[in-house]
Amino acid sequence: MGDVAELRVTRTAARANVRPMRHALRSFLEALELAPDTIDDVLTAVGEALANAVEHAYVDGAAGSVELYARAEGDAGLEIDVRDSGTYIERSARVGRGFGLRIARAIARNVEIDRSRGTRVRLSFDVIQRRRHIRAVK
Amino acid sequence: MSTDSSVAVIALSGELDVGRADEVARALELPSRTTPVLLDLSDVSYADSTVISALFHFSEKATAANTRVAVLIVKPQLIRLLEYAGLGEAFPVFRERSAALTYLLQNG
Repeated sequence: MGDVAELRVTRTAARANVRPMRHALRSFLEALELAPDTIDDVLTAVGEALANAVEHAYVDGAAGSVELYARAEGDAGLEIDVRDSGTYIERSARVGRGFGLRIARAIARNVEIDRSRGTRVRLSFDVIQRRRHIRAVK
Repeated sequence: MSTDSSVAVIALSGELDVGRADEVARALELPSRTTPVLLDLSDVSYADSTVISALFHFSEKATAANTRVAVLIVKPQLIRLLEYAGLGEAFPVFRERSAALTYLLQNG
């Protein structure tokens, strides 16, 4: 078992906040020394979950919050949760929504969606510990 | 959009995510004339499915209008995004500007 690295970022659910959350995740993944293509892939998958979350996270018409939680632990892999506080409603379809989940599933080893309290999307990525380097594999 | 003698160029740059969805949708308008369109995404550093879907709709409009479109993509993230979306073969994608222009200006 290696060291555990964690990142937690919470923002108001707004389309403009997806970008700073993604940037925070990029810094976290770069600190793990993942391969550049792996970082791009993880950001692509998580970006889709964030894009959906900012549109779900509404409670009684007011913007709620979106939380990004990432956890990397040695050989146990990389697990990223995107959680919103809203009740799941099919809002007027954002352009691109139809492709989002397909893209996330194509990249992550597993995508699990829990809609019991708000929506939590858990994306799991396999990683291989190579000395100081951790690389995700499909 | 800029237009030289025979090809209209639509260029987008930077990080194209859901936060710029409206801007992307506005940018992807067909030219009024039936001019081939080079969609230049070579300076796009990141894209999400917002762009994929906008591309998809743009391509449909172009086909209906009998307008030829070429997409210029340099960054691997965007190439792979198309593949993950199952659209790796859906658009004429080029990595070299000269190849895209040759495709747009060929007869037929």
